[in-house]
Amino acid sequence: MASALRSAVLRRIQVPIARSTVINGSQMTAVRSMSSHGDDHLDKQEVVDRVLEVIKCFPKVDPSKVNPDVHFQKDLGLDSLDTVEIVMALEEEFKLEIPDKEADKIDSCPLAIEYIFNHPMSS
Amino acid sequence: MSVGTASYLARRAAQKERVRILYRRALKDTLNWAVHRHLFYSDADALREKFEANKQVADVDVIDRMIDAGETTYNKWRHPDPYIVPWAPGGTKFCRNPTPPPGIEIIYNFGREDND
Repeated sequence: MASALRSAVLRRIQVPIARSTVINGSQMTAVRSMSSHGDDHLDKQEVVDRVLEVIKCFPKVDPSKVNPDVHFQKDLGLDSLDTVEIVMALEEEFKLEIPDKEADKIDSCPLAIEYIFNHPMSS
Repeated sequence: MSVGTASYLARRAAQKERVRILYRRALKDTLNWAVHRHLFYSDADALREKFEANKQVADVDVIDRMIDAGETTYNKWRHPDPYIVPWAPGGTKFCRNPTPPPGIEIIYNFGREDND
């Protein structure tokens, strides 16, 4: 009962998103980079291009078969250890360190692109 | 599907995951031990051959023992000072804040800025 009421209320409530940040009466116009690795995030197309480039360079892969929706084992004919090698190559390409359990879940191109694009430290 | 088949498949899936993670760690460790990239390639091939050699083993208990042996070997030869990505825990830049750029002034007024 309480949870139903709560979800019904929460569905009605809308919080407007503030469109600009005002600090000391002056509007912030530019976002300043605060660290050396750069706060500029990779855009989606760049991530896709670089992921595909890494996969095409893998020796056992036929480059003509590679596209953004490809599954490593089902479509490219690789085995699970090849998948491990590809994920490690992607880590090196984007200077990432993916925990073992999460890296184990990445078995297709869409998953790899999604993980790398959403990772704050990919560069 | 009977209970026996289901438990067998679950055990096989767990074993496959253990092998993948063992291979991943061992491959990273190979890269840590190699002082040059061109030395790494042959070492990685040798590691891969060790895994491929036991590809056809079908007995579940034998596989378990082999994975245990592999993990023991990995732990024995683990690199004492592995490469860690700088921002990751243990890396050189972990928990380090960049210096503020010139032109930024911090006034320490102990939280009374708005009151006076």
